[in-house]
This record gives sequence, structure tokens and C-alpha cells, in this order.
Amino acid sequence: MDPEVTIEYENVHKRFDTPVLSGVNLSVMRGETVSILGTSGTGKSVLLKTTIGLITPDRGDVRIDGESVYHSTRLGLRDLRRTVRYVFQYAALFDSLNIYENVAMGLDPAEIKTLDPQVMLDRIAASLVNVNLEPAKVLSKLPAELSGGMRKRVGLARAIVGEPRIILYDEPVTGLDPVNSATVNRLIMSIAERTKVTSIVVTHDVEGALEMSHRVALLDNGTLRFIGTPDEFRRSEDPLVMAFADRRAAAEAALKLIEHDAYDDNDAGPAHAISIGVRA
Amino acid sequence: MGFARHVGQISVLTVRIVMAVGQGGVSLKSVFAQAYEQGIGSLPLVLVTAVLSGIVTSQQGGYQFSSSIPLYVLGSVVASSVVLELGPVMTAFVLIGRVGARITAEIGTMAVSEQVDALISLGRDPVPYLAAPRVIAGMIVTPILVGVANAVGVLTGLVSARATMGLGPEGFLYGARLYWHSWDLFYSLAKAFVFGFTIPVISVHMGLITHGGAEGVGRNTTTSVVFMIITVLVVDATFPPLFLN
Repeated sequence: MDPEVTIEYENVHKRFDTPVLSGVNLSVMRGETVSILGTSGTGKSVLLKTTIGLITPDRGDVRIDGESVYHSTRLGLRDLRRTVRYVFQYAALFDSLNIYENVAMGLDPAEIKTLDPQVMLDRIAASLVNVNLEPAKVLSKLPAELSGGMRKRVGLARAIVGEPRIILYDEPVTGLDPVNSATVNRLIMSIAERTKVTSIVVTHDVEGALEMSHRVALLDNGTLRFIGTPDEFRRSEDPLVMAFADRRAAAEAALKLIEHDAYDDNDAGPAHAISIGVRA
Repeated sequence: MGFARHVGQISVLTVRIVMAVGQGGVSLKSVFAQAYEQGIGSLPLVLVTAVLSGIVTSQQGGYQFSSSIPLYVLGSVVASSVVLELGPVMTAFVLIGRVGARITAEIGTMAVSEQVDALISLGRDPVPYLAAPRVIAGMIVTPILVGVANAVGVLTGLVSARATMGLGPEGFLYGARLYWHSWDLFYSLAKAFVFGFTIPVISVHMGLITHGGAEGVGRNTTTSVVFMIITVLVVDATFPPLFLN
């Protein structure tokens, strides 16, 4: 295995009622930011959750630094998880804990027991400052007292306070207005640049993904349809990639071409299909 | 099949709770917080049901015994009914409604809002963190609540017998002592201990397996309450042949 590969998905399969992932292969390098795009329900979040064992694949494996997530002991998996932080779609802050306690949950439990309270407070405050929040204003508040954008930023602070080697972002800007989306995207970029953390970002925000990522992947029908640099993504002739890149006119033309080819290949063209429908 | 799966999952949860306790991974602070919530929070309702149980048993017993059976036997009937049956079972029903439903809804909401996943992703095991404190607290608090319910039920039975049947405290206590077995109190508290385990463990399990948003929380809370009521009644029916023969 390439020593620079930090996360490796090997032939990952998962089905619920229908197949969701049908053989995903992806290697993410150390310090790299990879964004995963795809239409809703294509299994982007499922793929992300397999990374730390929140969802178990039916087949295939996920390795972090060469160590299999699914062949680890329970303690081994716990140790693996401590090097990875997951930023949830709606932050998933603990309702009954205040912001200080929520961010403190991002620290290693063993570390909390030995850490001087003042040092711990300083680290929590520093991580809040890093996500543009004023510690004095938010530390004692409950998550319900914060806006959606602030909750997302607290989720980011919880992710970075423990200085992880890997951060997984599950739709970090979903539900945010453009200003807050841009703020969160910039934070993801600055965290990656400052800490050299390896990041996987599942997102619908194509522009944000192209701006912040070293590579962009497109998940479609359970497999990776495209993986490449943002420039390669922009230049791709794949109709679905073009649709995602918002080159609507080109995509529509390409899709029309595909439909036309499909009908040419089949004697039962649209007119025939309609006539069958009428008879039935 | 679904029932067998629940039983299997609850068994695994129980083993993991025991392991978490054995490994010292359960926060005493959380146990005390849960014990306070379950115990002090439920006390007023437990007292109300205990008072009403004592009054009803005393009055109905008095109505049946007023012809040929000596009235002092009413003391025995009230004490036995309250201690053996009404104290533990009525307290269990209060805890199902007040504690069990709340636990399922609370943990179910955490599950559907990904807070349980967040806990796991942060390297915390939900069993020592969420399940064990609630179950341990239930096992500590329920026997205490049942003890209080028993005392209050018998006392209000005594007061009610005097007020409505004219049976004085001496006669009531004479009757109560005449057929009293110390084993009955142990039986009552043992039953409470089992209820104190089954109610939180079922409610935690149903919370942890919740999915499907707000509808899923509502559905699982209802299922959890039904499951707990049936389990309490089955345990209640199992106790006499095992411990009263």
C-alpha cells in the first residue's frame, strides 16, 4: 500500500432495500481534501459512515492507515475513531450539554481526565475562535439557543479540538444561507491548510467543492462515475458531470443525444411505447 | 421473529451493561442524576397512586367482609394486597409512563438526530454513557419507591378503614400482623428490583433502535410502553409460582 494513502475504500458494497453502494473504490492521500458529489440518495453519506463503522458494508473493506475498520477489535476500532472526526449534517450537538461540554466531547476521554481544567478551557476557546465564534458569548449556551450556522460551526469546533488526522464532513453547508455556506467552506479550507488534516467532504455545493478540494468525485448508481481534479471536473465531457458543473445547455444537449441514441438502438421507440400505452 | 430479535438485542445490551459496570466505565455522576430524575421526579405520582390504592383496597375489602368475616382481617387484606401486588405493580405503571416513555423518546430523538452516531464517532460507547446510568438508577430507585408506596398504601388503608368502616388502628394492625410474613416484603422489593431493571432496559433498547424521524420516535415510544406493560404483567404473573409456594 502507498504509505501516503490514508483512507482506502476497497470494493465497498451496501444495500438497504435496494443497492446503495455497488463497489466503490477510492484512495484518499494524506493531507488531501476530496469532495464527493452526487444526486440525493446515491449513498454519499452511507459511504462516509462506512469510514468509521457507523454503517457496516455488506462487502468490501475500508482501511485507515492500512488498518481495516471492519477487522479491528472493538478497542482497535475505538482507537481508530479517535483519530477521525465526523462533522454531521445538522451538527448533531448534544441537546442536554452546553457548548463548552459539547466541544469538550471532541477531546480524547483519557486526555480529559488528565488535562488541567484551565488548559482544557483554553483549547476549547481556541477551537471556537478558529471557527469564528466568541467563546464568552457561546460557552454556557445550549445548542437550542444558537442559530443553524452557529451550530454547524460548533460542530466544526468539536471536530478540530482533538486535533484529528482525518475529518469527514457530511453535507456541511446544507440548510445554510449563501453567506453562512461560504463561511463554513472557508473554515473547512483554512482548517485543512493549517492542520494538514485529511478531509472528505460530502456536499451538494459544487462551487464550494471545486474551490476547496484537491480532487472531486461523483457518485452515481452506487459507483464512482468520476474522480479527478477540479480542472478535470470542469473539462469533463460526461453529461452528468457537466450537469453538476452547471453547464446546463451542454448537458441538456448531451442528454438529448443519449435519449436519441437509446431510441435509435431500440425498435420500440417513443411513438411505439405510447401506442402500447393507449392500447393497454 | 421480531419479538425474538428484541429479546436477543436486549440480552446483548444487558451483557454489555454488566461489562461496562465491571470495567468501571459508568459515571457515578450520571447515575445519581438519573436516580434523582427517576426517583424524586416520580415520587409525587407514586404517592398519589399509593394513597388511592390503599383507600380503594380498604373500602372494597371492608364492603366484602362486613357481614360474616371479622373486620380486623381487613388489615391483613390491605397489607398483603398493597405489599404483594399493588405497591410494586402500580409503581411500575407510573414508572413506565413517566420514566420509560421519556427514556425511549429522549434516546430515540438522539438516534434520529444522529447524536448517538456522534457519540460513537467521538469514541464514546453509548452503553456506558446512555444505557447503564439509566438502568442502574432504575434498579436503585424502584425498590425505594415501592417501599414508600407500600408504607403509604397500608397507612392510607388504615386511615380509610377507620373513617369508613369504623375499624380502629389497633384492630387493623392486629389483623395485618396476624397473617404477615416478612418474606412478603422481600418478595415485594425483589419484584420492584426486577421492574427497576426491565423498564429502563426495554426503554433504552427501543430508543437506541429508533429510526425514521419524528414518526419513528412516536412509533417506538408507543411500542416501548406496550412492551413494558406486557413485560411487567408477565413478570408479575411469574413471581407467585416461583416465590410464594
